[in-house]
Amino acid sequence: MTSLTDRYIWAAVRTVPESERPDLELDIRDLIEGAVEARTATRHDPAAAERDALSELGDPERLAADYVDRPLTLIGPRYYLDWLRLLRTVLLIVVPLATVAVLVVQLLTTGSIGGAIGSAASTAITATVHIGFWTTLLFVVLERSGTTDGTVQWTVDRLPDVPDHDRGARLSEFIASLVFLGLFAGAIVWQQLRPAVRDGDGGAVPVLDPALWSFWIPWFLGLIAAEALFALWVYRRGWSWSSAAVNLLLGLAFAVPALLLWAGGRVLNPAFTGAVGWDPAVAAAGGWKAGGIVVAAVVIIAAWDVADGFLRAHRALAHPARRLSARR
Amino acid sequence: MSRDDDLTAGHLQELRRGTVVLACLTRLRTPDYGYSLLESLDVLGIQVDANTLYPLLRRLEKQGLLVSEWDTAESRPRKFYRTSPAGDDLAALLTDDWDRLTASLHRLSEGQEP
Repeated sequence: MTSLTDRYIWAAVRTVPESERPDLELDIRDLIEGAVEARTATRHDPAAAERDALSELGDPERLAADYVDRPLTLIGPRYYLDWLRLLRTVLLIVVPLATVAVLVVQLLTTGSIGGAIGSAASTAITATVHIGFWTTLLFVVLERSGTTDGTVQWTVDRLPDVPDHDRGARLSEFIASLVFLGLFAGAIVWQQLRPAVRDGDGGAVPVLDPALWSFWIPWFLGLIAAEALFALWVYRRGWSWSSAAVNLLLGLAFAVPALLLWAGGRVLNPAFTGAVGWDPAVAAAGGWKAGGIVVAAVVIIAAWDVADGFLRAHRALAHPARRLSARR
Repeated sequence: MSRDDDLTAGHLQELRRGTVVLACLTRLRTPDYGYSLLESLDVLGIQVDANTLYPLLRRLEKQGLLVSEWDTAESRPRKFYRTSPAGDDLAALLTDDWDRLTASLHRLSEGQEP
């Protein structure tokens, strides 16, 4: 027995389970010797015939895989689409959530913006790699475990909606809203937990009156959560008269208590105004009171936001058939 | 040019894929060993690579369409394959279908509408 044939057989059988090796070895040896015999019978010298025959048989691992029906793909066509869908869904849900969660927690606990962004980015990368690896590993095992009924049966009910082309534009608004609301809520919590201002004894001084925590700060945090849900609703369904009306209610629920509290001087922490030596009720340069500027700003922003909602609803309803005409 | 050749080769391969099974089941009604089967198919113009044929024979054996035994009488052991009764039935069925397809394709190319 010559060494090339033995080496070829070993290269082939070592890739299959121990129990199948003797059988496979006999088969492949029969195959090689048949091929060599056919060649020596005609023209070749034995060494060249062997080399020629083995070259024709090709990669021994591929031959062995053919013999034992082992897939030569990591994830074959049977599972590929399920793998892709699951991976996409899990990545889109988990990575943003984990990243934002780490960002907020790091901001609150360390107070360093750069460090928080770094941690969040590293979390995003780690989560992506882990999800990619474990999801793929699951499907690689499925592909090789030989179960046949693991795939989800496709039905017409799973057809996606025709893409709403306004939705892509709304996505950036949605993300911007979430970021703004997150920063707003974070600022409210942060000024209480890690105030920047210290009083004479070195004690922390929150900007907002701590008495507001009994009702009004939870009210505004709840409103921020409601605004986030509202942003999601608008992102998914677009502007309509009902969403503009809800926007009006949310705007009133924010602006009216905020203005009343401000007018009653109940927003700022007296200890804070004392510590920084600033009173909004005192006229600043030009005769304007800072308090009046704040009132004007809140009124203008709230009114603009409400009007903008109705304008967008009007525009969206004036062109209802954008969906299919935008199809290309 | 070579892309056209690849295209042609691909279509030919698609067309011939199932016929090797039918050829083996038909030919092995007379017992034979692997390499001799390969050569006799080659002579008939049914080209198949050894590294395709041998795993195919093994698969057909697992499916109970072929039976095999080792002939140890000669200088080296050789595996003989023979079509089983189940393989024989399948070969008859496949042949009928092949004939039906051939007739249909002829009718198509002659422009006969059904």
